[in-house]
Amino acid sequence: MENKKENSENPLKINRRHFFSQLSVGIGSLALGSLLIPDLLKGGQQSLGSQPLGIPHFAPKAKRVIYLFQAGAPSQLESFDYKPTLIKRMGEDLPDSIRNGQRLTGMTSGQDKFPLMPSAAKFKQHGQSGAWISDFFPHMGKIADELCIINSMNTDAINHDPAITFFQTGTQQSGRPSMGSWLSYGLGNENQNLPSFVVLTSRGKGNSQGLYSKLWSSGFLDSKHQGVLMRSGNEPVLYLNDPDGISRSDKRHLLDHVSSLNKMHHVETGDDEIESRIAQYEMAYRMQMSVPDVMDITKEPESITKLYGEDVQVAGTFAANALRARRLAEGGVRFIQLYHQGWDQHGNLPTEMAGQAKDVDQASAALILDLKQRGMLDDTLVIWGGEFGRTNFCQGKFDEKTFGRDHHPRAFSIWMAGGGIKPGITYGETDEFGYNVVKNPVHMHDFHATLMHTMGIDHEQLTYKYQGRRFRLTDIAGNVINDILT
Amino acid sequence: MTFTLKKSWSDALVLGLSVFLVFCLIFEPYIELPELVGWLGNWHPLILHFPIVLLVVAVYVNLVHKKISSLLLTIATLTVLITAITGFFLSLGSSEKGDILFWHQWLGAGLALLTALWYWLDNQKLGQHKVTKGLQLSIVLTTVLAGHFGGMVTHGEDFLALPSSNSFEEIPENPLIYKHIVASIIDDKCASCHNPNKQKGEYSMSSLKNLIKGGKTGKAIDKEHPKESELLKRLHLPNADEEHMPPQEKKQLTSIEIQLIEEWVRLGASDTLQLNQLKNDQPLVALVNNLMRPDAKEKWTKLPKVDKTILSGLNSDYLTIKKLASTSEALSINLFTSPKYEATLITNLAPIAQNIITLDLSGIPIGAKEMEFIAKCINLEILEIDKTPVTDRDIIPIKSLSKLRSLKVYDTKVSDESIDLFKGLSSLEKLYVKGSAISAEGISSLQKERPSLVVIGDIDAEIKTYFIEKDTVEITTKKEAISPK
Repeated sequence: MENKKENSENPLKINRRHFFSQLSVGIGSLALGSLLIPDLLKGGQQSLGSQPLGIPHFAPKAKRVIYLFQAGAPSQLESFDYKPTLIKRMGEDLPDSIRNGQRLTGMTSGQDKFPLMPSAAKFKQHGQSGAWISDFFPHMGKIADELCIINSMNTDAINHDPAITFFQTGTQQSGRPSMGSWLSYGLGNENQNLPSFVVLTSRGKGNSQGLYSKLWSSGFLDSKHQGVLMRSGNEPVLYLNDPDGISRSDKRHLLDHVSSLNKMHHVETGDDEIESRIAQYEMAYRMQMSVPDVMDITKEPESITKLYGEDVQVAGTFAANALRARRLAEGGVRFIQLYHQGWDQHGNLPTEMAGQAKDVDQASAALILDLKQRGMLDDTLVIWGGEFGRTNFCQGKFDEKTFGRDHHPRAFSIWMAGGGIKPGITYGETDEFGYNVVKNPVHMHDFHATLMHTMGIDHEQLTYKYQGRRFRLTDIAGNVINDILT
Repeated sequence: MTFTLKKSWSDALVLGLSVFLVFCLIFEPYIELPELVGWLGNWHPLILHFPIVLLVVAVYVNLVHKKISSLLLTIATLTVLITAITGFFLSLGSSEKGDILFWHQWLGAGLALLTALWYWLDNQKLGQHKVTKGLQLSIVLTTVLAGHFGGMVTHGEDFLALPSSNSFEEIPENPLIYKHIVASIIDDKCASCHNPNKQKGEYSMSSLKNLIKGGKTGKAIDKEHPKESELLKRLHLPNADEEHMPPQEKKQLTSIEIQLIEEWVRLGASDTLQLNQLKNDQPLVALVNNLMRPDAKEKWTKLPKVDKTILSGLNSDYLTIKKLASTSEALSINLFTSPKYEATLITNLAPIAQNIITLDLSGIPIGAKEMEFIAKCINLEILEIDKTPVTDRDIIPIKSLSKLRSLKVYDTKVSDESIDLFKGLSSLEKLYVKGSAISAEGISSLQKERPSLVVIGDIDAEIKTYFIEKDTVEITTKKEAISPK
């Protein structure tokens, strides 16, 4: 009672006993409140990104990706984006209201007229879905109901190198990790005997642009995530085979000693890349056994090789690479990237593009059929497309037989199939001139976000801290296109 | 206290408001409110809090302290009357009164009048009379009841119900599309604002008739032009749009739910449509199945925890064990061809058998021993035993895999003898049989019994011929391509 009295006279004048007795009520109430926060004592909320690498953030629809990259940028107007208006208005100048200030490359900026040029190929609707596919790609037409054609792709770059770099790494400047490297970093190897990111290249007769190893570089990520280029022919990976006279056990001894030296060096310098080097030696050792087997397509039955077409017998063709891609996918490679060069039709488009299409049409479609009969289309995402689109107006001399088309970033077409993507749909629309996207645009960042989503990765959570900030494939943008997901 | 209400004024107000209220209740069908007066009704949800508190306090003070400030009772009485009257105004806005609103209205009005009675008794110096005490208790009781019914009107009938788990669990095997699916989506996402008691936009979605009829903006479902239906338009508007439903801050429909409603409207918005009346390739079938299948996240929550050390001990160069997602204990296992294969590689997985969801043994020389182990993986959903030497007899044990969704037995010796086994796998959705000994008759008998099962065999013969024979592209001549005909 006395205490109380003192307190009521001066609220600041309290003794120790009184302080603790009141404090206990306060702390008790806090404790009661804290019961409502379930994770309070578990060391804070764990974000997806802080969880261990090598495990998807959520259950994935696709386990692997086969990317059939058409380097040089195939024309959307001769493949998947059917524009009859161009037939009616052939030769008319592209209206300024449509071009709307779009910058041009140095190759057409000198033209004083931009005459509209219709498709060099005829279009037909295919399958139950009624997808429009041009006659340049008759085999793809046969599998139209497996495809999700996106006609509203758009990019920021107008020249090949920045555009293809953007596609591969999420930014136009070189130096960032390729998307295959990001997936390898996020999901790890499926098969310890093969790299998780493999690159195969082929080249058509059309006008082509260079391919550089920076496109499959791991950038600032650990170099074990970089793409491994497999060559055509007998020696898919250079210097992988042992020289004559070296037995496998000799090789093992050699590696063990090199590894112990490397470890010593690692202790001295602390450089993590040394550990990657050790890991890569080991991977190479295992690849000596696994690669020849997985790349050997002579074991494939005739019914399969015929499906992919005659070209499959010729090493280094797109068809041969497509069949190898399937074998690599079976072997547990997570990201298989094919590049087919020669799609840069600035001139002579009708002839050149038909030739290019012939290189890839049957094998691309055959790959889908082959994956499907093996049940692999359920968990393999196949993507077909180039780095940007081509103009709806003629470049060079206005001649139906020899015209060309310049680069066009505002709208182009790709298709995706399998692995959690809705089959038999055409997504996005361009205006009647095929110049601007008017419905459901898919920007590069959206494409990357969607691709990662099918693989079970939240693109905002897979980050790598480098030079003081966290990087991701989609940088600070990108929305998953839910409409095309199953 | 410097402020006092003049006794004569407050007496008059209480009497006046009581009479007004009684009048309103009697002549309800004839009343049409001027706009501004109707607007007063919107204040009901705000004002109602005062009488609830004041009445409880007044009763408490009276029972404990015997004497009560007349100001307290006056204010309590006035606010309860005002609340009842504004509530009445508000209720006139809804075209049709449901049960709950009916009870709320009469309990609220009763409460107001009981309070007025108490006020009068208090004036007569009968504040401590037994009758008054009884009255006070019934006032508290009525306050609680009226308040509760009011809460149900605003927040939905089950706002005080205990939290319940996913409502879609109770969908029967062959659901009525409207009753079991569409209506339950609406109950979950729309009904809290569009029910007979609370009809925002004069729209109640509680019965099929009302759902179609629509509200202020007219017909909600247009059976002739299903795509033009107002209901669908509102669902599809961007979230930020004022007209979008449900409002941005409320729980949104998932894209699957929207597609479901859309498809159901497209098919005529009927209440008799049942799942088994639909053809398998109808999009609605896949959507319903999707909805009925438990969410992956929930599905795997009951798996036992996997010990990390066990995992790292089992992983090897040729055997990859991975968690399917970082949020669950579900495992995916992939075995690759190795120079030395032994059955123990697989049978050693016994400690984690229950966690295995996908198992890929393509091309591995497995036999009866391994298949016996596989039968223990009771949660297995995807099994790949293609290109293996297994026979009909070997695979018999998999009949115990009740969760198996996808099975690959292509390029094996499995034959028609296993058809009955496949028929018995109740969860099976996809079966891959290319290059096996299963005949076309076997497949058709299987599909007859299990129409929803997708059996994938060889590539369609016509397509195959096209690919093998037509190995060239005909280059269309320019002239043909551009002719406008």
